[in-house]
Amino acid sequence: MNYDWTLWGLFILLGLVTTLPRASFIVLGERAALPENLQKALRYAPAAALAAIVAPDIFVTGGELSLLSPRLAAAAAAVTAALLSKNPWLPFIAGMGVLWGLA
Amino acid sequence: MSPSFRDGLREGFFGYLPLSVGLIPWALVTGLTMAGVGFTPLQAMGMNVIVFAGTAQLGTLPLIAAGAPVWLMVVTAFVLNLRFIIFSAAIARGFRGVPAGARWLSGHLLTDGAFAHCLEKMLSHEDPRWRLGYYLGPSLWSWLLWQVFAFCGVMAAGSIPRGWSLEFMATIALIVLLVPMARLRPMLVAALVGGGLAVALRGMPLRLGVIVAIVCGIAAGFAAERWRGKDLP
Repeated sequence: MNYDWTLWGLFILLGLVTTLPRASFIVLGERAALPENLQKALRYAPAAALAAIVAPDIFVTGGELSLLSPRLAAAAAAVTAALLSKNPWLPFIAGMGVLWGLA
Repeated sequence: MSPSFRDGLREGFFGYLPLSVGLIPWALVTGLTMAGVGFTPLQAMGMNVIVFAGTAQLGTLPLIAAGAPVWLMVVTAFVLNLRFIIFSAAIARGFRGVPAGARWLSGHLLTDGAFAHCLEKMLSHEDPRWRLGYYLGPSLWSWLLWQVFAFCGVMAAGSIPRGWSLEFMATIALIVLLVPMARLRPMLVAALVGGGLAVALRGMPLRLGVIVAIVCGIAAGFAAERWRGKDLP
């Protein structure tokens, strides 16, 4: 796929929504604080967001729910490897191995 | 460079060095994935330097490849970065007495690893110059490793055929991040609700379903924590 100059605009926007949260309280210092309940709720944001991105990628093929796809089997292999081993490479080897084996 | 800054820099760097090896596979995978969605080496390294956030990069790459609307990618990256607001609030006191310019640089360089490694001493040490050195040692080292090994990944991808579906490595990388989180019950609830709704609502226009799914996932995790009456550690 080819991308035009607008890709650089997107990078800058993504950079802003990364640096601003990171710098927020480090730059503001003692001048600001976050309500405790909001802090607690925000801890669930990464898990909810990661699952919301990953799930359609592995459960949906061509717009339809599909429970027998190579992607789903590959994801299951990656989850198993991540649960059973601390080796950072193993989920990739298992997942890509299953994907290539079935595709 | 003051002697106490240099002492802090040295202590922070050597303490973090063994842990930093864990960054290498992530940087390689991110490089491979950026090349996998069709970025040129310049575009890939541009993203790597400007965004400098593995999770946000890996999370948005499938959306970029699918031609999703810009606002969705920006919101997704922001949500994946929300944890940094908490980290930033937690470590902020460690920057008392540090000038504003150095605070912006430190904020830009804040990573999960540097936060976890530096938090305790940042809060307890008295000398602001020592603290800044202690934080910047691991942070600058992480930045360098991230750029070098992402570049290796981008260049290695050129010798791998297209039919190998390298973009699926982003999905696996996100799974590897998700699995240890989901060991905690309320986190698992947040993930199941977020993932389930994202699939169920995939027909919503402008991919709004993803955002609805994330918001409901956060609410479900929070509700599960309350219902169990126990706080996360």
